[in-house]
Formats: sequence, C-alpha cells, structure tokens
Amino acid sequence: MLGENKFKILLDLINNATKDELIWMNGYLNGVVKNQVPAAEPVAATAAAVNKITIVYGTETGNSKRLATDFAAKAKRKSIHAKVVGMDQYRLADLAKEEYLLAVVSTHGEGEPPEAAKKFYDHIHKNGFKLEKLKYSVLALGDTSYPLFCKTGEDVDVQLNKLGGQRIAPLQKCDLEYDEDANGWFNTVLKNLTVTKEAAPAVETVAAPAPAKKTGKQTYTGTVMSHINLNDRGSGKTTWHIEIAAEGIQYQCGDSIGIVPENDSQVVTDIIAVTKADGNKSVEFKKEKVTVYELLKRKINIIHLTERLVQQYATVTGHTIPAGRADLLELLKKYPVKNVTQFEEILVGLNATSPRLYTIASSPAAHEGEVHVVVAKDVYQKNTEMHFGLCSDYLGQLKEGKKQHFFVQPNKRFRLPAENKDIIMVGPGTGIAAFRSFLAERDATGATGRNWLFFGEQHFVSDFLYQTEIQNWFETGVLTRANFAFSRDQEEKIYVQHKMLENAEELYQWLAGGGLFFVCGKKDPMSNDVEKALLTIIQQQGKKTEQEAKEYLEHLEEQGRYEKDVY
Amino acid sequence: MNKLSAIEKIKTSSDGLRGSIAQSLKDEITGAIREDDKAVIKFHGMYEQDDRDRREERAAKKLDRLYTFMIRLRLPGGFISPEKWIAAHHIAGENSTGVIKITTRQTIQLHGLLKSRIRPTIKAFSEVHLDSIATCGDINRNVTCASHPKQSALHAEIFAYADKISTLLMPKTKAYYEIWIGDEKIADKKEEEDLLYQDRYLPRKFKIGIAIPPNNEVDVFTNDLGLIAIVEDNQLKGFNIAIGGGMSTTHGNKETYARLATVIGFVDTEEKILKTVYEVLTVQRDFGNRSDRKLARLKYTVDRMGVDNFRTELEKRIGFTLEEAKPYIFNKRADYYGWQQGENGLWYYTLYVENGRVLDDEKLAMKTALLEIAKTGKTNFLFTANQNMVISDVAESDKATIHAILEQFKLIEHTENSSAIRRNAIACVALPTCPLALAEAQRYMPLLLDKMEPLLNKHGLGNDDIVIRMTGCPNGCARPYAAEIAFVGTAPGKYNLQLGGDNQGERLNKTFKESLDETEILSELDELFTSYKNERTVGENLGDFVMRKEMV
Ligand code: SRM
Ligand SMILES: Cc1cc2nc3c(=O)[nH]c(=O)nc-3n(C[C@H](O)[C@H](O)[C@H](O)COP(=O)(O)OP(=O)(O)OC[C@H]3O[C@@H](n4cnc5c(N)ncnc54)[C@H](O)[C@@H]3O)c2cc1C
Ligand SMILES: Cc1cc2nc3c(=O)[nH]c(=O)nc-3n(C[C@H](O)[C@H](O)[C@H](O)COP(=O)(O)O)c2cc1C
Ligand code: SF4
Repeated sequence: MLGENKFKILLDLINNATKDELIWMNGYLNGVVKNQVPAAEPVAATAAAVNKITIVYGTETGNSKRLATDFAAKAKRKSIHAKVVGMDQYRLADLAKEEYLLAVVSTHGEGEPPEAAKKFYDHIHKNGFKLEKLKYSVLALGDTSYPLFCKTGEDVDVQLNKLGGQRIAPLQKCDLEYDEDANGWFNTVLKNLTVTKEAAPAVETVAAPAPAKKTGKQTYTGTVMSHINLNDRGSGKTTWHIEIAAEGIQYQCGDSIGIVPENDSQVVTDIIAVTKADGNKSVEFKKEKVTVYELLKRKINIIHLTERLVQQYATVTGHTIPAGRADLLELLKKYPVKNVTQFEEILVGLNATSPRLYTIASSPAAHEGEVHVVVAKDVYQKNTEMHFGLCSDYLGQLKEGKKQHFFVQPNKRFRLPAENKDIIMVGPGTGIAAFRSFLAERDATGATGRNWLFFGEQHFVSDFLYQTEIQNWFETGVLTRANFAFSRDQEEKIYVQHKMLENAEELYQWLAGGGLFFVCGKKDPMSNDVEKALLTIIQQQGKKTEQEAKEYLEHLEEQGRYEKDVY
Repeated sequence: MNKLSAIEKIKTSSDGLRGSIAQSLKDEITGAIREDDKAVIKFHGMYEQDDRDRREERAAKKLDRLYTFMIRLRLPGGFISPEKWIAAHHIAGENSTGVIKITTRQTIQLHGLLKSRIRPTIKAFSEVHLDSIATCGDINRNVTCASHPKQSALHAEIFAYADKISTLLMPKTKAYYEIWIGDEKIADKKEEEDLLYQDRYLPRKFKIGIAIPPNNEVDVFTNDLGLIAIVEDNQLKGFNIAIGGGMSTTHGNKETYARLATVIGFVDTEEKILKTVYEVLTVQRDFGNRSDRKLARLKYTVDRMGVDNFRTELEKRIGFTLEEAKPYIFNKRADYYGWQQGENGLWYYTLYVENGRVLDDEKLAMKTALLEIAKTGKTNFLFTANQNMVISDVAESDKATIHAILEQFKLIEHTENSSAIRRNAIACVALPTCPLALAEAQRYMPLLLDKMEPLLNKHGLGNDDIVIRMTGCPNGCARPYAAEIAFVGTAPGKYNLQLGGDNQGERLNKTFKESLDETEILSELDELFTSYKNERTVGENLGDFVMRKEMV
C-alpha cells in the first residue's frame, strides 16, 4: 500500500525504535486515526475552566489510591473539586453522567485488573451503551518486569475511547518508580482542563500514550547455598528457607526478589508429544529466536491460561471452548490443533511467564552477598486432585549448588525507620520474611528502637518458623516483645489479631509513642483481620469513635507509619 | 558447713513450690519452662525432657528442642482402680505419647506432654482422684509395697501402711492445686506451714519400700528406708527398720557407691512405726548433705554419722528405743506370674509387661486388652516393682470372663511364652527421653535378650530365674547393682558388666568388666554360662557361683 520510499522510511523508523518508542508510535498513530484530522481538531477541552472532576482508582496494594488522593488535594489547590472513589465503590450507573473522569488503575496477576477494579473493568467492556459526555484520561500503574506491562490501564483507556469518551490527556503508563510520570501526567491533565481551545497546541493534545520511565532493575545469577524445609515432621505445611549467594548483590530490607519459574519437564514433553512438534525447531518469540522446547520450558506460561488466551486458542483452532481458564495441555488434549504450524502460532501468542515475588528474609548488614527467602509450598485442589503452585514447587525442588536467576524488586514504602524508632511487626506464615530481615538488620547495626513481633502458624511444635533465631533475638533483647498464635493447638482458633487484642493497651502505647506498624504475609484474610483488630484497638484504647479510628489509621498511613507487604 | 547447692536456694525461695511456674506456662516463645522452675516442677511430679532423637534434625530446621514433660503418678503400693485405669488410658491417648509406662516403683508415667497439655492432663487426673504430688523432687517418693496378696493373709493390713506413710509424708503446700487445678490462692500461709519439710524440703529424694518375706520383689534394701513386715502366728507384729539403701553411683566419682540398707531394729504398733518413719526423715533433713547433691542421699548421711549415732539421734527424736531386729528370711525376688489365688480367696493374674511399657503394637494389643478388662469393672490393678501388672481381686465367678479377654488378646500366650530371664529382667527408660542416659536401655534390652536366650538354652539354663537388669547410666533406675547380671551404660553401645549379686537382693554385685560392646558381652557371658553349667554345686544360683569362684 505504501510507496516503496515511504515504506522504507517506516521500516527504518521501526527497526531503530525501542520497545517503548514503538508503543508510543503505535498509540500516536492510533490517536491520529481515531481523531481523523488530528492537527485541526484539538482534544476535548473546555473554554470555561472545569471545576468538578471524578477520580476513580483501581488498586491492589494501595499505590493507585494514594496517587488518586494526592491528585484530589492538588486539584483543590487549583480550586477544582475532585471526588475520589474506588472502582469497587463507584456506581456504574453514574458513568453515563460523568463529564470529567480520571482513572488511576494498576495491573495485577497475569495482566489482569486488581480485584477491586474487576466490576468496573467488566462493565466498560460490555457494549451497548455510549459515553457521549465523557472526557477522561487514564494513569496506568504497572511494572516492566511483568510481560503484560500496564495491560489493565491500556484496556481501560481503549475501552473508554471506544465508548465515545474523549481523552483529556494521553494514557500514561508508569513503572514501579511512578511518582515523576504520574505527576507529569496529572499536570498535563490540569493544564488541558484549564486551557482554552485557541491556546491548545494541537500536537501535545494528540492522544498518544506516553512511554513510561523504566525503573532500572538489577538482575542477578546466584548460587543456592542452603535449602531447608523449616517445617518439622507431621506438619501440614512445607516452607523452604532458601539462601542464595550472589556477587555484589544490592538490596534493602523490605525489598523482594522476582523469580521466573520454569515449567515442569514432564508437562513440556507431554505437550510436544501430543502435538508431534519438533522440540529443537527454533521459533520467534518477542523478537527472540528460541527452540520450541526452550519456549515451553523456560519462557511462556502454559498452565492456568487466562480466559482471553483460552478464547484466542479457540479462535485459532476453530473449536468452541467454554469460558474459563485452562492448562495448555488440557486444551491440546480436548481440542487438538490441526497441525504443528497451528500449534506454533498458538505458542508465540501465549504470555511470557510472570515472575513471582518473594520478600527478602535476609539483611544486607547481616548476610552480605546473600539473599534469603522463605517460600511456602502452594497447594491447591483441582478436580479433587492436589496440585502445587508452579514457582513454589519449582523452588522447592532447587538443589544446593544450583544456579538461579532473579531480580531485586524494590519496595520503597516498606522500609525500616530511623534506628531509634519503635516498630511493631505482624508477620504470620511466610510474612516472617520481612521481619527476619528487619530484625537481623537492627541486630547487626545495633539500632536502639524497640521491636515487637507477632508471629503465627498452625502448630507450635512443627511450624514455628525460625524459632531458634527468634529466641536468640528475644534473649539478647533485640526483640522487646514477642507474641505467638498457633491456630490449631487448641479447640478455638487463635490468630495474630487475637494476640494483638490481648495486648491492646501496650500496642496502642507503642503507636501513640510514634511507633510504626508493619504487616507482611497473606492479604486475605490475614491482613484484613489485622487491620480490623488494629482499628478496634485504636478505637477502644484511644477512646475514639469508629470514624476517628479510621482517620487515625489513615493518618498513620500518610505518615508512612502503617505499611503492608501483603499478597 | 560448705555453701548450699543451687537447688537449696531454689527450694527455699520457691514460695511453697510455686516458683514462677505460672509465668513459665505463659511463655509463648518456648516449649520449655524457666530454669529454676525445672527444679520446682519435679515436686509436682513432672520432669522437663526433650526428644533426644530429634535434636539434630530440628536444629537444622531452626526449631528449638522438642521439649515435653513426663508426669509420674502417686500410687502407693501400685494400686489403681479400673475407673482410674480407664481415665489414664484416655488421658495418655489425648495428651501424651499414648504409652503408659509402669515404673520400677510401682507407678505409671506418661511421656511427651507439651507444656500446653500439662494443665488439661492434671485436671483430668484429679477428676478421678489421681495426683502426681511428690513423685519426684527432694521429698518422699512413691511408697512401694509387696503387691501380691498371695504372700500373706495379712497383706491387706500391711499394704495399708503404704498409703498411710505416703499420706503422712505429703508436703503441706497447696501449690499443686493452685497452679494446675486453678484453686483459689491460699490467703493464710499458716495453713501451708510444713513442720516436716519446712521450706527446704529434704537434701535429696527419699524412698521407702515395704517388703513381706520371703519375697523381696520390691528390693527393700535399695530404699533409703525399708520396712520388713514381721508376721508371727498370722499376726502382723511390726516391722524391722532398714536405713541407708541406694543404688546410684557416678562414673569416675569414687565417693559415690551403691549401698544396701542396714537393718537397725524393730518397731511394733502403728503409732510407733509412723513416728519412726517420720523421724528418719527429720534426721536426714537436718543432717543430710545440702552442698553436694551427689552425696546427699540418706546412705551417705548414715555412713558419715555412723549407724549407731544415727540410731541414737533417731531414738532421741522418737522418744523410745528400737527393739532388736526380728529374724526374717528372703528366698526370692520374683513376680507370681499367671493366675494365683490369694489367701483372701480372690484371684490374681500377673501379666508380663516388657519394660513396663503398656501400648498396642503390631504384635500385641495390650493397651486395648487392659481397657476391655477395666471396663468389666470386675477387677482392680496392681503394678509390681518389676514393671509388671497384676489384674487383681477377681472373684471366682468372674475369673472366666477375665480369662477369656486375656486369651482373646493373646496376653496369656504372651506371658507364658516369655522366657524366664525375660520375665525376671528389667531395664530403665533411658533414651530417647531420659536426659541422663549414656546408652540405650529399654529399647535395647529386648534385643540383647534375644541373643542371650540361645546362649542360656545352649547350656540348658533357659529356665533358671536369673535376675538381669540394664540401665542407660549408673544412676541405677532398674536397681542394677542388686542384680545377678547387670549392664550399666557407660557410652552409646557400651556397658559395664556387673556380676555377683544374689538372687534375693541381699548382696550387691561388682563390676566384672568395663565398657563392653555387644560382641564382648556375649562372649563373656558364653564363657560364664559354660563354667556355671559345669562347675556349679546343686541349687547354687549364678550370683553365689560367681562369688565362690571369686570372679569379681
Ligand atoms: C521411670 C524410672 C525407671 C523405670 O524404667 O521404671 C526412673 C526414671 C528416671 N530416673 Fe530414676 N527412675 C526410676 C527408679 C529409680 C530407682 C529404682 C527405685 O527407686 O527402686 C533408682 C535407684 C534407687 C535410688 O534411688 O538409689 C533411681 C535412681 C535415679 C537417680 C539417682 C539418684 C541418686 O541417688 O543419685 C536419678 C538421677 C538423680 O536423681 O539425680 C534418677 C533420675 C531419673 C530420671 C527422672 C532422669 C532425670 O532425673 O531427668 C528418669 C526419667 C526417665 C524417663 O524418661 O522416664 N533416678 N531411679 C523409675 C521410676 C520410679 C518411680 O516411679 O518413682
Ligand atoms: C510482594 C509479594 C511478596 C511475596 N512474598 C512471598 C514470600 O515471602 N513467600 C512466599 O511463599 N510467597 C510470597 N509471595 C507469593 C508468591 O509470589 C507466589 O504468589 C506464590 O509462591 C504462589 O506462586 P506459585 O507459582 O507457586 O503458584 P501459582 O502457580 O502461581 O498458583 C497460584 C494459585 O493460582 C491458582 N492456580 C494456578 N494454577 C492453576 C491451575 N492449573 N488450575 C487451577 N488453579 C490454578 C491456584 O489457586 C494457586 O494456588 C509474595 C507475593 C507478592 C506479590
Ligand atoms: C502479583 C503481582 C502481579 C503483577 N502483575 C503485573 C502485570 O501483569 N503487569 C504489570 O504491568 N504490573 C504488574 N504488577 C505490578 C503492579 O501493577 C504495581 O506494583 C503497581 O504499582 C501496583 O499498584 P496498586 O498498589 O495500585 O495495585 C504486579 C504486581 C504484583 C504484586
Ligand atoms: S538409669 Fe540413668 S538412663 Fe536409666 S532412666 Fe535412670 S537416669 Fe535415665
């Protein structure tokens, strides 16, 4: 279609472009096409300054919410009233009435929306309604270490546009270090909300997504030095303590490491068998040449494929497959591919395997040149069979001396405070990881702040993770207080939140005295129950109303004195 | 006077044996209790232990030692009713390893209680009026008594003394009920004033045993205080008093030695008997060594003071002089296995319990069988000092029922088919629970006997009642020094071979060879049995033979 010269120029441009530039160009053209005559037609902006906007956020770990509320405050100063609401709270019926909507949304799972954003996300993916009035812009939070970077944000941006919404400012994707990009985006939004048609320079108003500033993330190849199952005989659990030595490793307490698991060799060989594919044949995946075997073993996710991919499989193979997730092998057996070519087509369309994060359980000061993690074997039922999580099972089978790739995933907010500050740490199960790191660090550096640990598991005898280390910290005074909840050693279940409530008075004194409160471990139900207990304690001990207690906690959050590393 | 041992301080400052046990129980970070409480809790009948088999593996897992508690009941003379046995059966299943361990002092122990299970266990026991008060610690222990009524028409009358003495020598503190049952704190400490033990208790453990000649199965002379029943023309005249028995020695400590009690006289009437017993304790309380626990038992006090001075001091306190000891004869030291009829007309079945361990295993469902028997409500139970069990007080009319159950669970077979040496053998607990064990005992003895039986049979000695005992260390919990053949652990797989004790427990054995391993033991024994077989005089038992030949 393009003339040879034009085409050559385009190719040059493409070939010399970085991934992000391509995404940008793609978006740009997108915008150009959508707004027909871009140069002439400026983006929907108003002559009269806007004075009312809605900011919706979809969050899993709170970043989006934090940004949304910051923005609202900023808007106020520009005398724009901003209503902030979580996507889970948002009345979908109101969408049609919205005039100015800003969406801040992260991506989780395997390129999926956060739990709390699901309803909103699904709603805008229904068609059969239009959003004539809507002027919007999307801020997408994500992480470039995941294959589907900012997928949810992208989808929301495209969908709102499809439904007739017009962009106030282009989609902005952000990597983990999102502050700069995010504020940049919001300033553009504010500007565009206040400028008059005339002044608005066309180009900048073209709705092309802006590339994210990448957060440089260091990857390492370490050697497994030690690999221990911490649970004693007779335990219902398996929890591995893994020590990895890595040259010049750099991290801070509170960080995690990311590991991309390999697929089970048996499953891979089965897949090759049923499809009669040639494992040694090399194919192209994400601009990289790899053999089919490599691809299946180390690159792509072949279990629990997302609904989208299952349907994609259906389209390619021409089978009709009921909605829902499924393993690739299941699909191949139930709905065979026509031939190897079709199989390869499907393969390259699959997602790269997502890294799994593990909170670092070691401390730079105490364990130089090493990272330690504590990994719980993930067990789940599938049609009455026991299955094991991919990465945890893979890590469980690591052998001492084996090499392992990983990257360090910083967690800016989850940090040890000044050495003289008191900290309360609630970390049942593998949540102990962050606090083994904290305590080892404070021990090694002789920090003077008081430390209070809450730990819990099923059984005292078999599941007391790091018991002897914790005892040493207690005996040497590194731990000022320590409370333990073993849920299944007696009739009634006892959890960490119960131990918190038992010690309510003391706990509140620590908070009131400027202490910090950290939670690490399972999001559900643990971190929610802990938060409930914390609110109860603040309310009762602080003689506050429910509302005041909430505000007190929010205040702690703003001051960075209530931090969560939950999953 | 040298400075007091650490334990003395702990006792006097324990606030009537309370210590800080209540707080120790609250410590969530450990399964252990606080250091001083380890000593105090013994007076409540418990020992803190840990599974020594699991130490290494748990350490690698960053787990603390697997601390558990052993609890020992107070059962004077080893008597227990069926209701109580049923309770013990279930309590063991719910709170401990499930094994019920019959001890060499006629009571039972449960092992493996987690700290959090102690209270429920003691509560459950007390609901059936069982307690563990003073079964450990520096205090009078479980009183042993010849348990088999067959021995005398006056058995019941004599047996009653075990209970009377036990009650007489109980500590006055109510701490036990306060800590474990949750009774109200005693406001007025006067109620707890203890004239016998004061606040320092005894310098060391104190043991009392009662024997009825001619059978000395309680090993009366190994007790600090032994009472020998004197029966003339079917009347209980009173008891000969024997003092200063004790087994324990310490490897390499020349000052320690095993000693058999010395008979110092005779006492009649109940009042005088109880008075004498009581004052023997007060003499030990006031004259015993409180600085060196290795030399604190009554046997050392007696030898230090001299038997005569001790008697004089005792007579001063009791206010009368001891009569001259009456003659008595011991000619055996064995349980009456199988069915026996007591002088009272009731029936008694003595069951062989290997090392006193009552449990169900693939070979034998003994624990279940005994539960079934207890459920009939037609029997009582007695434990013997040889770790066996007597199904007792069975009426003629109920004998068949009980016999049927014994048959059904193969307990008759088990008892009858066990060889003579097995039925006369005892081994202490040792590994894995005993912290003092240097070598295996109860887990190894049966295996060694497997290898000794062929030797004995080879020399046609298979049916001789030779008293064989094994302990995992020189503390002597299976009374090895009073055995004809004894193995005393010195290191893993190594034992001192002791020979020369007599059959009825009136002469100690001596060390024949030190630290032998199994092959050495077996070849030494093979030699011994050969010469014994060929050179023994008629009816001469092994111990006497060894002495005559001056082998030790
Ligand atoms: C259970 C039992 C052995 C058995 O297999 O039956 C036993 C087991 C223990 N004895 Fe014993 N003794 C047992 C009868 C004896 C006897 C035999 C007797 O009393 O007829 C003796 C020798 C007689 C004597 O006392 O001289 C005996 C002399 C010792 C000693 C040494 C005492 C001494 O004078 O030095 C110790 C160690 C100590 O007390 O320091 C000891 C200590 C122990 C301990 C509690 C170890 C400890 O101190 O931590 C053992 C617990 C092991 C376990 O896991 O159960 N046990 N102990 C007996 C319980 C009797 C009871 O119901 O009260
Ligand atoms: C910030 C952060 C820190 C973390 N820190 C730790 C830590 O310190 N220790 C730790 O142990 N974990 C930690 N995690 C969790 C960890 O990252 C992994 O999520 C966890 O190990 C499970 O991953 P997996 O690959 O083993 O299981 P996956 O294979 O990912 O499976 C997880 C779940 O998905 C479902 N599922 C998967 N496959 C199928 C299928 N075929 N059919 C049906 N259902 C299926 C099941 O419910 C399964 O339980 C952390 C997570 C985050 C986000
Ligand atoms: C388990 C998990 C999965 C994630 N998956 C993705 C992903 O597929 N794509 C992506 O861009 N970011 C992914 N992220 C990164 C988050 O989007 C990023 O941390 C964001 O800042 C979270 O914002 P929130 O706190 O508002 O949820 C993932 C994070 C976690 C913890
Ligand atoms: S003799 Fe030694 S090893 Fe055996 S139970 Fe007694 S103290 Fe333990």
